[in-house]
Amino acid sequence: MIQLFKQKERIMNGVFFISAFMSIVSLVLIIAFMFTNGIPVMRKYGFNEFLFGTVWRPTASSPSFGLLPMILGSVYVTLGAAIIGVPIGVLTAIFMAEYCPKYLYKILKPGVSLMASIPSIVYGFFALQLIVPLIRDYIGGNGYSMLTAMLLLAIMILPTIIELSESAIRAVPRTYYNGSIGLGATRERTIFSVMLPAASSGVLSSIVLGIGRAVGETMAVVLIAGNQPIIPDSLLSGVRTLTTNIVLEMSYAAGDHRQALIATGVVLFIFILIINTVFIIFKNREDANK
Amino acid sequence: MTFKSSVKWLSLFSGSLLLAACGNEGEESTASAFEDTSDIHVITREDGSGTRGAFVEIAGVVDENEDDNTTATATVQNSTSGVMQAIAGDVHSLGYISLGSLDESVKGLAVDGVEPTPETVASGEYQVARNFNIAYGDDLNEAAQDFYAFMFSDEAQEIVEEQGYVPVEAETSEFESKEVSGDINIVGSTSVEPLMQVFAEAYKEHNPNVTINITAPGSGAGITAVIDGSADIGMASRELDEEETAQVGGVDAIAIDGIAMIVHNDNPLEDITLEQIQSIYLGDTTTWDEVE
Repeated sequence: MIQLFKQKERIMNGVFFISAFMSIVSLVLIIAFMFTNGIPVMRKYGFNEFLFGTVWRPTASSPSFGLLPMILGSVYVTLGAAIIGVPIGVLTAIFMAEYCPKYLYKILKPGVSLMASIPSIVYGFFALQLIVPLIRDYIGGNGYSMLTAMLLLAIMILPTIIELSESAIRAVPRTYYNGSIGLGATRERTIFSVMLPAASSGVLSSIVLGIGRAVGETMAVVLIAGNQPIIPDSLLSGVRTLTTNIVLEMSYAAGDHRQALIATGVVLFIFILIINTVFIIFKNREDANK
Repeated sequence: MTFKSSVKWLSLFSGSLLLAACGNEGEESTASAFEDTSDIHVITREDGSGTRGAFVEIAGVVDENEDDNTTATATVQNSTSGVMQAIAGDVHSLGYISLGSLDESVKGLAVDGVEPTPETVASGEYQVARNFNIAYGDDLNEAAQDFYAFMFSDEAQEIVEEQGYVPVEAETSEFESKEVSGDINIVGSTSVEPLMQVFAEAYKEHNPNVTINITAPGSGAGITAVIDGSADIGMASRELDEEETAQVGGVDAIAIDGIAMIVHNDNPLEDITLEQIQSIYLGDTTTWDEVE
């Protein structure tokens, strides 16, 4: 009887181990594929040329694969989206956790969850019909610009940031709040000086997840950002990000061109690694200080 | 208390702003009228587009190595419909599309005094024109062979004319289907796709046992798909170069199509010269008043 029990235990152990193993295996396979297909072309044209070259002309008779315009495009667009989206998201989360009346909460919470599940191409189409003409008529340029992409991505990362930040703030023990109020602080002071710092690791991880989504967003951005492979010189200039570069050209790329696009994926991957590493360092420092 | 009430006012205010924005949208899609001094918003297709390849060659938008030298500030749209939507929404834009796809939503310009119509393309007066080419791999399955024969029949070439393209000058005859069954994968140009859809429907009348899948990621993708075997038939709206011709089983032209230069309907420009087109796309001419 006990033998059977122990055997079942061992089998289930194995099942769980294999499931965990699967995710690591897929990650390793993705990394292996990308690096084996991307690194040779980077070496052939020179890492410096590849990462810091400013001309992307893959189909010319002497092709040049300079990724700098796309790297800067991704950086600017993500930064802009974060600057617009993070304050709005965190403040909304605070509102929903602390100030929201019950009847409004019943509408807001499902609304935010719905926002998170809208497919990104629908967001892109929405921006094409609404934001592009607004920017063209009231701000300038032809509407397909970096500003449009920043605004759209800010809207897209809002639900991620709001949902996670709100649960982080709600998870702070009520004793913190009560203690602070008891010491004479106002409600606003308590929230911003006591609750928010206590929830900081949850809020920070929501921001990192939001930024990760903004960096990886492809279909929405390709419809509205102009897609010129140039270094953007103003908010209203068109821009191409690392992700849209891949989607625009992958279907017909062959040979070196295709490998260059996979190398673009490698650069993207390293990007996300850097963001996550910075976050982990930050978090460790926070925990050490506590 | 004040925080709560100020939040309420803020949400009311932003709500009304949003409604106002949506309200304006319904009235007129272009709030601004055409202005001479405005920049020309140049729209081009993605690198792998056959229409772009053909256009660049005919208009001479190349550098000393015969490579595509379209100005880097041109907005890139990745399909015929994408270009049309972009033009229809922006009164200061200029782009190019397949003549057969031209409709009421945009205006086609006359080039060097010649209107873009199937007749002027057929007679050769309208210079900006190219073939629709169909490429196929080495082992074509029976269903694809039958469909291929259909494309060069009397009926199919009549369809070509009806849809606004120019039929090829080739021997065509009555079509008799071999009643085979199977799947056909057709991949390629967004310009050829509308014509191919009508072909597929007409062919189904003769032979309903065949399933035809048509996808349009662009001419370059179509040729690549035929070369690596993932498509039976590839559609290209440009000529194949030597490398590509060597790697496919064969290629034939099924129609001749013009490339129309299009602008917004409210744009007062009616015609343009080939030199002006070249200059605009090379980035030398940048404002509308230089084109009048």
